[in-house]
Amino acid sequence: MTRDGLPKRQRLIGLWLLLSGISLLGGAIFAAWLDAQLSPTGITRVALWLGSFSGGATIFLVGLLLERMLFTPLRHLQVQLARLVANPDARDEHPPEGWLKGLGPDLRRVRESWRVDRNQLATAHADGARSAAKIRRELETLLQVLETPLLLCDHHRRLMLFNQAAEDFFVDNTALGLGKRLEALLPVASLQQALSQLPADGSPRELLAPCDNRWLKVVLRRVPGSDGETLLTFSDATASWSNEMGVRAELATKLPLLRQHTASLTSAADALIQLRHNGSDNPTLRQRFEQVIQEESATLGNNVGQIGQLLDDLQHQGERLTPMWSNDFWQALDERLDPAHRLITPVGMPAWFKGDAPALIVLFDSLVKHLNSHLPVSHFEGEICLGNKRVYLDLIWQGSPLPEHELAKWRRQPLPSLPLNPLVSDVLRQHASDIWSLADDDAVHARLRLPLPAMDRVGAPRETAPPRPEFHDFGIADLPPPDEELANRTLRSLEVVAFDTETTGLELRRGDTVISLGACRVVNARLLASEVFDQKVDPKRPIPPNSTAIHGLTDADVAGAPPLDIVLTRFRDYVGEAVLLAHNAAFDMLAITNKGVVFDLPVIDTLLISRALDEALDGHDLDTLAQRYDLTFPPGTRHTALGDARVTAELWLALLPRLEARGVDTLEQLLALQANAFDRQDASAS
Amino acid sequence: MAKVLVVDDEPNIVLSLEFLMEQAGFQVVTAYDGEAALERINDSAPDLLLLDISLPGISGFDVLEHLRHSEATAQLPVIMLTAHGRDIEREKGLALGADDYITKPFSTQSLIEKVKSLLKGNSQ
Repeated sequence: MTRDGLPKRQRLIGLWLLLSGISLLGGAIFAAWLDAQLSPTGITRVALWLGSFSGGATIFLVGLLLERMLFTPLRHLQVQLARLVANPDARDEHPPEGWLKGLGPDLRRVRESWRVDRNQLATAHADGARSAAKIRRELETLLQVLETPLLLCDHHRRLMLFNQAAEDFFVDNTALGLGKRLEALLPVASLQQALSQLPADGSPRELLAPCDNRWLKVVLRRVPGSDGETLLTFSDATASWSNEMGVRAELATKLPLLRQHTASLTSAADALIQLRHNGSDNPTLRQRFEQVIQEESATLGNNVGQIGQLLDDLQHQGERLTPMWSNDFWQALDERLDPAHRLITPVGMPAWFKGDAPALIVLFDSLVKHLNSHLPVSHFEGEICLGNKRVYLDLIWQGSPLPEHELAKWRRQPLPSLPLNPLVSDVLRQHASDIWSLADDDAVHARLRLPLPAMDRVGAPRETAPPRPEFHDFGIADLPPPDEELANRTLRSLEVVAFDTETTGLELRRGDTVISLGACRVVNARLLASEVFDQKVDPKRPIPPNSTAIHGLTDADVAGAPPLDIVLTRFRDYVGEAVLLAHNAAFDMLAITNKGVVFDLPVIDTLLISRALDEALDGHDLDTLAQRYDLTFPPGTRHTALGDARVTAELWLALLPRLEARGVDTLEQLLALQANAFDRQDASAS
Repeated sequence: MAKVLVVDDEPNIVLSLEFLMEQAGFQVVTAYDGEAALERINDSAPDLLLLDISLPGISGFDVLEHLRHSEATAQLPVIMLTAHGRDIEREKGLALGADDYITKPFSTQSLIEKVKSLLKGNSQ
């Protein structure tokens, strides 16, 4: 590669010292020779020596002058220009010095007018985009509040958009992320086939797809007038499917048996009566009929018992019965009863149960009002007790239990705020449940008990994440297909995962290892704020104090963190098909390779790029470059894995325009540029 | 001879139960609703109760509650009968103090065995 621009500073200084040295030495030898030849005296001798040294001294002084008045100002100008291209809004730096001082006004003029132009462009752009953004915001809000899980993917089947409901629906599935492939989320051949055969007019196609021991009903629609984009909505069909194919089907098969045995029973009973009426006493025949009656009664009893069990199961699988976290239930009930005072204090351990939430809230509302009219107390405790197959919702108060006849009265009450105006007993039956009142063992409290189906789920529900700032990115649709040669991608269209590791030390080949891994994602030259990876790692060895001094992580911080291979597996999932990016990537790549997870991906190194672009400048470490391009660290994030990963990503975005200005457009060209800059590691880089 | 009170609003089943119990050597008293049952218990203390849950007026659970609340009948053996046969009713019956619980249809043989074992347990 030809190098144009300023030669390296060390090389210039070396050249200048060499020239001065040679001239001075030559002058000295020449003067000594003349001195010996001519043996001058007095003023002539002084003039001869001075004359001989004048050349070297001139070279030395002119070099000094050039360095001060030309080369240093030129280098500063180079930094200024680099910063101006990378970050036009960076704060003003020193005007040109030395002989370049005259350029100051012109440079300022260029910078000012460029900023003004950019501002005007941006304003015009913003004005034009404002109405579009407003529409987009409304659309986003609408999609976020939709309860239907919804995905939009582009014609390369990459996810361009999904809503909160979809995040909840696919919770714990790492394959859900902007830009990731739909196949990773739902590896079902029938879905791929349906996608390729969707009609263009937007008419829906439905299919059932298995996903983590659930059956999903997927509705696909090609978005009309779009670039082959597809909208997918999901519902969980497991319950209705198992209802129709399971319990209901079984019930249907039980009925003929019931008819058959009932028929046998009635005919045998009729025959016995006939036998008596006819007066013919046939003891063997009568005995046989009696045996039939006995056998059929027993079979009938068994059948009826099985049907009862099936009906119980059917109730428990009711589609309206959904998982509920007891604390959420008590809170919703309180909000309905009396928002101002907490009438119900949840006690004990919270748990999951299944119920028709809106109906149960209405039921308990009516129950508490009924209790208030019969009990001196108006404040209750709510407790969840665990049974084998059920959990018990208990309302506890100080006093005596409620008599059964009062409960019977309440069971006959209608609940007018529910559809079809059901009675309390109907809602209880819907939950295959009943209610009773008992005195506690302490003889002070009494409780009402409502059993409900239990859930095999433990732990509090996931905290709902704040709405994603980058909720979608329609630009993803314009990315070239991933199966095309990655090398020909433009840099701007690359999906990049910037990552950084913190380690126990620098001796990676001698047992030092990762203690923290942070990463963030750049899609379409935008750094996504929320889609980050941030994980501490258990190094299985103590962290030396001198490395704690750098990153602040102690043994206590990484205690209980997963080991490196687990973290790297998750990180590999997070990276997906993106290109890796790191500053001084050689170190970070060494830290994560040969640990059982393969990272055979192209790697971009901002250190090498920076060195390739500005070979004449010293200092390519992250701090110097952040200063050079006016990138800001939030306080306290420097030397944290995620913080450094974010700055690396910002640095990459600052270098992009400079690369493009030099005609480095594709990944292939960039990797070639990097390879040429890879001559020696910058000791100060980290 | 042990005295058994049969409480059910279905005459057909009362008829059969009365016959079967007498065959098994018990003295049988019958009642067709909850109020009548409580009266019979006041008149002549039975040794055991066969109590149907769904009675007109006060329910079987209600009768059971009354019995368990009064000192004299707190220990009276009670077997509950039901045509509902839902798990939850069984659980409720046992929670309110029933000694056993039988779902219709039932095998008369096993009913008689349950009655005998309860009476035996109670007399010890």
